[in-house]
Amino acid sequence: MNDIMAQLKENVIQGRITQDDEGIDDTLTGPGVVELTRMALDSKIPVKQIIADGLTAGMEIVGQKFNAKEYYVPDMLASAEAVSEAMDILKPHLEGSGVASRGKFAIVTVKGDIHDIGKNIVAILLKGAGYEVDDLGIDVPTEKIVEYVREQKPDFLGLSALLTTTMLVMGEIIEALSAVGLRGSVKVLIGGAAVSEEFAREIGADTYCADGFEAVRVLDSYRAE
Amino acid sequence: MIIVGEKINASIKSVGQALQNKDEEFLINLAKDQADAGADFIDVNAGTGEGPWENAAAAMEWLIQRVQTATDTPLCIDSDDPSVLQAALSRYNGETVMINSVDAEPKRLDAIGPIAAERQALLVALVMKEGGIPRTVEERLEAADIIATRLSAMGVREEQLYFDPLVLPISVDTSQCLVTLKTIEQIKARYPSAKTIMGLSNISFGLPNRGIVNRSFFLMAAAAGLDAAIMNPLDSRLMSFVKVADMLSNRDPMCRGFIRAHRKGLLNE
Repeated sequence: MNDIMAQLKENVIQGRITQDDEGIDDTLTGPGVVELTRMALDSKIPVKQIIADGLTAGMEIVGQKFNAKEYYVPDMLASAEAVSEAMDILKPHLEGSGVASRGKFAIVTVKGDIHDIGKNIVAILLKGAGYEVDDLGIDVPTEKIVEYVREQKPDFLGLSALLTTTMLVMGEIIEALSAVGLRGSVKVLIGGAAVSEEFAREIGADTYCADGFEAVRVLDSYRAE
Repeated sequence: MIIVGEKINASIKSVGQALQNKDEEFLINLAKDQADAGADFIDVNAGTGEGPWENAAAAMEWLIQRVQTATDTPLCIDSDDPSVLQAALSRYNGETVMINSVDAEPKRLDAIGPIAAERQALLVALVMKEGGIPRTVEERLEAADIIATRLSAMGVREEQLYFDPLVLPISVDTSQCLVTLKTIEQIKARYPSAKTIMGLSNISFGLPNRGIVNRSFFLMAAAAGLDAAIMNPLDSRLMSFVKVADMLSNRDPMCRGFIRAHRKGLLNE
C-alpha cells in the first residue's frame, strides 16, 4: 500500500498520465498516475490519503522544481494534467471520504483582455490542488462578474490581466463588488504580467500571486486561518 | 524582412519607469540604438499615462516628439485607443507610419479604420474576433476576411494591411505553431498585396533556451511567407538570422545583403 502511494507521488512528479507515457525523464515504466489511482482505490486506500500522500505530495515537489527553474511550463502542465485526471477518477468516491471541499475558486480574464494562457495554467493547478474551479472565460464584462459573485457565491475570485491598460479594470471590479456589498463575501486574488503586490494593495485586492503555485499556497493559507 | 523594433514599450519595466520620470535620454537612446541596428520601424507604446501625465494621449504625444528627435526611422504607433492614435499622429512628422493594432471586432475596426484610411497608414490587424485567439486556421482566416472586407469599405487598401497570424506559446500547446505557419501561407495566398507580421518571442514563453526557439521559429515563419517581425533588433543573433532568412527565401539577390553583413562583421554565429 505504501508502495502504491510512493509510486503515485513519483509518477505525478514525472507527469506520467498513463502507463504509455514516457514521463519527463523517460526513466519510469509500469502504471502511470491514472492506473495507480485506480489501483489505490482497489486496494481500499482512503481517498483522503491518495490525495494527500500521492497527488498533493507530488505536486508540491513539482512546484519546488518549477520555482527552482528545474521544471518548465510543459513539465508543470503535464503533472497538473495527471493530477486533474486522477481527481476525476476520485470524484465519485469523495463523498463521505472525509475530504472537505477546499472551496470554490472562480477565475476570469477581465474586460478588454483576451489573454487566457496564464489564467488556464492557474485554473489547472488549483483544480489539481482539489479546489472546485469555475473558469468564467476572457474579456468578461464587470457586471457579469458581479452577477456571478452574487449568484454563485465563490469563496475566491481570481482576476487576470496581461496589459497595462486592462489591469485598471481589476480596480473597477473591486469597486463594483464593494458598491453592491459583495466585497466582503469573497477573497480577491490578482495575477498577470502587468500587476504587482503594490498594485494589489492600491486597488484593494486581497493579494497578488506571481504564478499558479503561489495561488495554491495562498488559498491553502486562507483555509488554515 | 521588415523589422519593427519592440523596445519602446511601457509594459517593459525600465521603459515604464523612464516615462514616469520623463527620462528623455534613456528613451532617445533606445530609439537611436534600434534604428542603428537596422530597425525599419520603431514601435512606440506609451502605456496608460500613469505618473505625471494628464492621460495616455499626453504621454504618447510627448514620447512621439522625443523619439523623432533621435531618428527619422518611421514609427509604429502602438495603441488600441483611437484618441491616443489621433494624438500621436498629430505630432508625427514622418510620411510612412504604421498603426498597431486592430482585430476583427467591428467596433474597433470602425473606430480605427477611418484613421488608417485618412492617414494612409499601414495597419497591423490581429486575425481574431471577440472571444480570444482562435485555435484553427479556418477561424483565423474568417477573422482576416472580416477585417479585409470591412476596412476595404472604409477606403483602406489591401496594401496597407499587415495581418498578424497570432502566435501561442509552444509550451502550452504543441499543435499551435503549425496553425500559425499555415495561417501565414493562407493569408499570403488570399491577400497577395497584404503583408504578414508577428511578434517572435511569444512562441518560447515557458521554455529554456528561448533564443534558439525564437530564431528557429523565425526561419520557419520566413519560409511560410512572413514579411515583417516585431522583435528586438539589438539581438545580434536574431538579426543575423534576418539576413539568412532573406537570403534563403529569395529576397536577397546574389546573396549581397548577407555577404555585406558578413563584411561589416554583423553576423553572429
